[in-house]
Amino acid sequence: MAASLQVSNLNWATEQQQILIDINFELVANSVTAIVGPNGAGKTSLLRSIYLGLANQTGQIKLNQTCLSLLNRRQIAQQIAVVTQQNDAVCHLKVIDLIKLGLLPHLNWFGFSAKNQTAHLDKIIQQFDLTPLLNKYFDQLSGGEQQRVLIAKALVQKPQLLILDEPTNHLDVHFQHQILALLASLGITVLMTVHDLNLAAQYSDNLLVMDKGRIVRHGNPADILDEESISDIFKLPVQKGLNPLDNSVHMFYHWPQQVKHNE
Amino acid sequence: MNNYNTHAKIGLKFAFGALLLIASFFTVILMGAADLTFTDVYSCLFATCVDPLTQTLVWQIRLPRVIIGALCGAGLAVAGAVLQNTTRNPLAEPYLFGVVSGAGLGATIVSVVFKEASASYLPIAAFLGAILAIVIVMAVSVAGKHTRKIESLLLAGVAVSFMLSALSQFILYMGDPFAANRVMFWLMGSLARVEMPHLYWIVPVLLIGLAIVVLLHRQLDAILLGDESAATLGINVTLVRVILLMVCAAITATIVAYCGGIGFVGLMIPHIVRRLFASTSLILVCGSALVGAIFMLWVDVLARTAVDGQEIPIGVITSIIGSLFFLTLMHKKV
Repeated sequence: MAASLQVSNLNWATEQQQILIDINFELVANSVTAIVGPNGAGKTSLLRSIYLGLANQTGQIKLNQTCLSLLNRRQIAQQIAVVTQQNDAVCHLKVIDLIKLGLLPHLNWFGFSAKNQTAHLDKIIQQFDLTPLLNKYFDQLSGGEQQRVLIAKALVQKPQLLILDEPTNHLDVHFQHQILALLASLGITVLMTVHDLNLAAQYSDNLLVMDKGRIVRHGNPADILDEESISDIFKLPVQKGLNPLDNSVHMFYHWPQQVKHNE
Repeated sequence: MNNYNTHAKIGLKFAFGALLLIASFFTVILMGAADLTFTDVYSCLFATCVDPLTQTLVWQIRLPRVIIGALCGAGLAVAGAVLQNTTRNPLAEPYLFGVVSGAGLGATIVSVVFKEASASYLPIAAFLGAILAIVIVMAVSVAGKHTRKIESLLLAGVAVSFMLSALSQFILYMGDPFAANRVMFWLMGSLARVEMPHLYWIVPVLLIGLAIVVLLHRQLDAILLGDESAATLGINVTLVRVILLMVCAAITATIVAYCGGIGFVGLMIPHIVRRLFASTSLILVCGSALVGAIFMLWVDVLARTAVDGQEIPIGVITSIIGSLFFLTLMHKKV
């Protein structure tokens, strides 16, 4: 069964500043939700507070009515899978070995699982069309292939909630759409941060708009993306329109000088 | 099918490696200053020795040296492989923690304090010194407030290494001039003083260490993805890392206590194995043990036979080979 995540009165501060301020939201089961907002709005911190639990954070986070603070790391990993932002991890593992790491939360110390996981593993390899990549090394794959492998590894965990931090970072247009379409088709609850408002609007059921550590808007992309608030948050003149291909909301941006020039 | 072929290929490579190890073992035992034939060694090992001199040569000189040499190479290579994966640093190696400097300090203190009577205490003192170095490095990096634990571990290792070396040099400078000769053994590395009873300490430490690493090999693979990704797979990264660092430290300190500072084996062998077998930590660790053992057997032959009538400290040879390898590696990285 897919999850319903409830976040209530979540606050988190470092020694220097308040990062998350009074965060409250709920995710509809099986929906795709994108967190959008300017740099430094607290998007990644919000995700980390859910899947890691940050020191000194206050508030409550419930997954299927169970408070996450009552679960240990392994129990959380059995329910929440995460694809973090790829940074400096140089991982010289074969794709098949990397995908199998998704089974770790379900294995005991000696590497045995209560159930045979082979069928589940094969199904995900087929679903993500990874058979030709299985014996290749992860660090030799393209960015799009790496992201597909990491998402497949996350799904091997059999999560009820899939969290992704910037899954389209550093990807070209083709892979951006491929990855987001894949996520939208999974049929599980997905929470991710996305920088591109239009991609987020095109592939998400709901948006969470963050600014300065707060959630300022939450709801259907068509309803909450309006010119005034987005222009105010991103400090940029914005015009709202429609994507002619699928009628999703599309925002058009103008750098102030460009506006002046056109006038 | 594809996966089956991959496993078969790796199995074949391991089988070849095992055969090479056995062949090397029986070849290098024949080589040295005194001539021994295969029949001499075979009859000594599996029947009755031809004469008492051969018995002493085989059982008390060659055999301990060959067995401990192989275990030493295997242990250092395993520790290096684990450290490189644990710290995600391809240049990490067992002497990262200042273990050799710590062992050197232990040996120096005992040599200066106990003078001539110090020989039997040297391995214990060297072991304690090595442990002291590790404890300081871990206390600084793991218990410290640094957010980048791995980097602080590596830097603390360098700092502790210099600090303990300076202390050793100061004590030697102020103390007995003959003590310096005794301490040189630890600094240069040698298999010349190993004896069969040393196996009672080396074998259990290696076996327990290897068992722990094998038990944690999946967690070690997950750490390759980054600490945060590993944590999201339900792994207590700090705990796994501390356990593995302690295993590496125990293996290294034990080897250093009996064989001295044999450098670069732990850096070089895992890189070679990555190219030959390279995939998961389990294969890397087992492959490193095999290749490390073979490498050390042949380097020891070189140490015994390169110069007529004189033995070159094995650490000198591994350092020459290793530093050339290191420079090549740096060149490729840059």
